[in-house]
Amino acid sequence: MRRFFPYIIKIMVHVFTYHDNYYLYDTGSGALHACDEKAARYFSGESVEMTDEELAEIAGLEKEGILNAPETKARPIKSDEVKALCLHVSHDCNLRCKYCFADEGAYHSVREVMSFDTAKAAIDFLLKNSGKRRVLEVDFFGGEPLMNLDVVKKTVYYAKEEGAKLGKKFLFTTTTNGLLLDDDAIKFLNEEMENVVLSLDGRKEVHDAVRKTVNGKGSFDAVIEKIKKFVRIRGDKHYYVRGTFTAKNLDFSKDVLFLADQGFDSISLEPVVTDIPELQIKEEHLPAIGKEYEKLCDEYINREAEGKGFLFFHFHIDLEGGPCLSKRVSACGAGNEYFSVVPNGDIYPCHQFAGDKEFRMGNVFEGTLDPVLREKFAQSCLFTRKKCENCFAKFICSGGCNANNYHYCGDINEPYEMTCAMMKKRIECAMHVLASRKAREK
Amino acid sequence: MIKTIAKPQEKKVTGCGECRSTCQSACKTSCTVGNQSCERVTREQKIDEQK
Repeated sequence: MRRFFPYIIKIMVHVFTYHDNYYLYDTGSGALHACDEKAARYFSGESVEMTDEELAEIAGLEKEGILNAPETKARPIKSDEVKALCLHVSHDCNLRCKYCFADEGAYHSVREVMSFDTAKAAIDFLLKNSGKRRVLEVDFFGGEPLMNLDVVKKTVYYAKEEGAKLGKKFLFTTTTNGLLLDDDAIKFLNEEMENVVLSLDGRKEVHDAVRKTVNGKGSFDAVIEKIKKFVRIRGDKHYYVRGTFTAKNLDFSKDVLFLADQGFDSISLEPVVTDIPELQIKEEHLPAIGKEYEKLCDEYINREAEGKGFLFFHFHIDLEGGPCLSKRVSACGAGNEYFSVVPNGDIYPCHQFAGDKEFRMGNVFEGTLDPVLREKFAQSCLFTRKKCENCFAKFICSGGCNANNYHYCGDINEPYEMTCAMMKKRIECAMHVLASRKAREK
Repeated sequence: MIKTIAKPQEKKVTGCGECRSTCQSACKTSCTVGNQSCERVTREQKIDEQK
């Protein structure tokens, strides 16, 4: 017996194609399926002739809870515990990158570095407010944090000592432009940092066009060998070479592959966040960006198949062992469990809000947090972002970046659609990467 | 007609909050929770494997 009828989409099943491959992503369960064209048309709501066997197959997957699954009722993780701080140890930088969200390191204020007293007070604040949480995170950020390496070192040793007294462990990270990576810095970072993020935009001409020294020269030649040396010595420990692409290099797949060709096997490249017209990503760029992600995705899969693979942050997705749904709806935790501390000890929801007085939440010397602001950020989650309601990607991206939303749309709960479009494209690429890998493994 | 590529593992825990702050280590502009793994489950699996 054959039947003709359109599939009634009770819940969100995202149908997408990648070249000649058809996929179904079940938003409710988080399961990914490959399918044929007929199934893709059926799940897209077309009137398609279906056999009893085919309908039984669908019913079986539904029964298993991996197709057309009801959405989670999971609630965001509610906690008063502070678990992470971003320490702005240097509001100064030895580069003058054109697109810098932090006003080339100065954060729209005076250039200064954090004193050890302030860093120490920040660690005390974190320990005091961390409740029962045993693992705490501290990110050394700038400007350029290595301009204040002495304070970074003292802070690490102080945190470890004080943490040990309370049975708590610290995970440290540093983001650096690499200019001050000498033997001493390399040794310290490799010994103490759980992760190091190294800023490098890709090809020399791309990097030099935006990442300038104080004297206005390109910085590529000054950093590339230092970063290579650092990564070589780092061995198996975590790191990311992280770049930014702008409207000037919409052929950014070449930059990612260039970085991979330099021997870096852990790479992230982010779209620029800026209002500088010639650099800003605009809506008219989206088709080209989508194609570029596909181009990168194809080569990524080829290299992986040839045993020359590398990790591109956005093409890695963990559908099987990913975080629980409570985490997925909770977003990043900025302003509630994660804060930024600037050199004078003022506390902000995250580094992207630093210096904006409207978002000043307290000071580490006072040990207080603005309860109204904190509650506002604590409430902010996937379910307060109405635009996300019908988005297939919502349980993967969790509603985007609070700061990005605020800076572009004026509201932490209003996702910026440009970012959403790129995020969705990357997620589809990541799913195709996963499917290709599974197919190879078989 | 349909072949399952990936489905979430059954989790032993949910909502424990032991996971890291999302924007801490890898990127500073576009947080993606889905790129992470559940730290507690990963840790427990490692313990299981060592047994």
